[in-house]
Amino acid sequence: MVKICTVSLTCCAGCLSSFVNIGEILFNILQEVEVIYWPTFVDLKEIQHVDLAIVEGGIRTEEDEEIIREVRAKTDTLLALGICATHGGVTSLGNVFSLKKALEEEYPGVYRRATSLPKLKDMMYPIDNFVDVDIYIPGCPPMPTPIQKTLQSWLKGEKPERNTGVVCLECNRKIVAVRPGHLKKIYEEADNPEICLLSQGFICLGSLTRDGCGAPCPRVGFTCFGCRGPPDSLTYRSRDLYDFLIRVTSRRTGIDMEEVKKELYQNPFVFHAFIFSKKMERFKSMERII
Amino acid sequence: MTTAKEQRQITISPTTRIEGHGKVTILLDESGNVSDAHFHATEIRGFEQFLRGMETDRLPFIISRICGVCSTAHVIASAKAIENGYNIEITETAKKLRELLLMGQVITNNSLVFFFLILPDFYFKLEEDPSKRNIFEIMRENPELGKKALELKMFGTQILQAVGRREIHVVSVIPGGIIRPLKETERIYLIEKGKKALELAQTAVLLGKELFERRWDEFKSIAAIKSHYMGLVQNDLLNFHEGNLRIIGPRGEKVAEFHPKNCLDYIEEKRLGWTYAKFAYLKSLGWPGGIMKVGPTSRMNVISDILTPLAKMEFREFRIRFGRLVHETLLFDYARLIELLYACERAIELLEDKEIAKTDLRVKVLPKEGIGIGVVEAPRGTLVHRYVLDKAGKTKNIKLIIPTQINNTAINQSVKDAAKEFVKSGEIKPGLLNSVEMVIRAYDPCIKCAARNLTNKGFLTVEVRNKEGKITKKLS
Repeated sequence: MVKICTVSLTCCAGCLSSFVNIGEILFNILQEVEVIYWPTFVDLKEIQHVDLAIVEGGIRTEEDEEIIREVRAKTDTLLALGICATHGGVTSLGNVFSLKKALEEEYPGVYRRATSLPKLKDMMYPIDNFVDVDIYIPGCPPMPTPIQKTLQSWLKGEKPERNTGVVCLECNRKIVAVRPGHLKKIYEEADNPEICLLSQGFICLGSLTRDGCGAPCPRVGFTCFGCRGPPDSLTYRSRDLYDFLIRVTSRRTGIDMEEVKKELYQNPFVFHAFIFSKKMERFKSMERII
Repeated sequence: MTTAKEQRQITISPTTRIEGHGKVTILLDESGNVSDAHFHATEIRGFEQFLRGMETDRLPFIISRICGVCSTAHVIASAKAIENGYNIEITETAKKLRELLLMGQVITNNSLVFFFLILPDFYFKLEEDPSKRNIFEIMRENPELGKKALELKMFGTQILQAVGRREIHVVSVIPGGIIRPLKETERIYLIEKGKKALELAQTAVLLGKELFERRWDEFKSIAAIKSHYMGLVQNDLLNFHEGNLRIIGPRGEKVAEFHPKNCLDYIEEKRLGWTYAKFAYLKSLGWPGGIMKVGPTSRMNVISDILTPLAKMEFREFRIRFGRLVHETLLFDYARLIELLYACERAIELLEDKEIAKTDLRVKVLPKEGIGIGVVEAPRGTLVHRYVLDKAGKTKNIKLIIPTQINNTAINQSVKDAAKEFVKSGEIKPGLLNSVEMVIRAYDPCIKCAARNLTNKGFLTVEVRNKEGKITKKLS
């Protein structure tokens, strides 16, 4: 029987919850595999050699690094599940200040004294900063369908199907010029459900974000936040992501580029929420992003 | 002068069948008896620090990333805090939908905890091979039971999907209300699923009670801690979304009842030297007299009744069986089942009210300066979000009080008590591992939540000190 394990590093545990949410299909998959290590559900405490290791979360502590190196050494295939593992996730917003310093200020001496607490890294890293990753499924969390499809192809020994486009392809809104006059907050007014959110002045990152999720957020009027990371076409020119968003926003809303730029500068969280830690993908790894 | 004392400690790592990565260390004294036990998380993220300055329109959505297990509770508490700060009253329809979301969360969580985490302890004999003692093995041996477990859990997920528009980290809750109405077809679909789920929940309660009864004599001695209890009550009834916070004392006397926005007048936190975890306690009684517990049994202790018929019967039976006040740690598991039943019934009740599909969901939001506090009952207990807000619609300061943080003291104490039974004069009796883990499991601590911040860590340590220096033994 195929052996799998799941490992949780620094994260919110949402990705493996999403994995459990594949429901009935999980039940069928579990008939075919043997779960060797999954602390949330299984009592075994040692990671053994497995065929597939599913890792959620990124590297924030020295202990995370030790674990991921151990896992890499003991698995044939390493699957990075979720945006924390693939790009650093929300936790990487903390990279702008020193957590160690903040700890020392709030609890003088405790950090140095406490030997039982794992030491912190200087920032949050995606796991491929330390080890090779075979399959990436970004998302916060990835929807159950891509997880399930990827697993099923892997079990059959096939290459999983990739998503290379942008979220807009899966969104049902029409891109038309609206001329809203200014950029809007989500709670400012209700959106028109037929028309592109960005055209209406809500900053939606759909045009910079990889598809495969089915666009659940923009479809109901909540702007895309970019939780799937950049698509293939934008992967290499990441430094231009910011400019790209400014240009797209300006074009669709008719607002002057300088004004859009000013507005975006004031709201740094809009843009950087999930991919702050990521160095740009090399060719090699891009082919592995589902 | 300090004498070199041996420090012997027992480490259990990782603690299994608990949500999040945890660790237990047991400290022994000179004669080899348990002297102390601590519970920590092994990761730090710093949410309260790095989200300072974030614009409020999408804060609920980002702050829910603290925890993927109880994300919905965080989203709603966050939106409530912002609305409280901006002085907004949301519409009745939006309130109903939010309560429905919380019920979805309780159903998902409680069925997962019961079937996936706790059931294996009852289903298999204690001496069963640990590699077998899990839900996957139960699914193989008894596929029917496995399917039931998944189906019940899926009802919660379906609510989150239909109302929240995403199963984990819902997107429909925004400051000022809810973003999209519930369609009539979705309402009817959910009622149908709900009726099936209610039957399954009844089965789960029966099964739980039977298993519980079988081992109650052994359980009742494990780690009973008298403390204060806190929970939301609405007109003396169980409610997860609205009402007043009530605190009762260890003898059942009412200590305080107040509007949630005033909760920081009553709760205070303390730091201890050995850990980053903060310990919350009742301000008026100080430390350690004001230790509190929150969560399922606390909610059972503070309410006088439950409104929905089936859960009401179970609640009354629970009171007759265990008394007006319950202190036993392992009763958390029992109370969680009553809440599972309540959540199914309440969800159906909310869905059968046609008004829930009305479209008046949003009110106008105008940012203003001030302090906002939002409180909900998360599956694990009272969750508080407090923000200092500025005029431009950003946050100046964020502070959270998380159930696991309030229960922290009690968890450590319970682990210590449980370990004492098994470690005597340096001798470790078999069964220590699972019994310590069962106690922690009962609290259902959410290590992810507790570790959101640089002030919280979540692994469990029990150290044993004696005269021969430090020995670390890993149990697995």
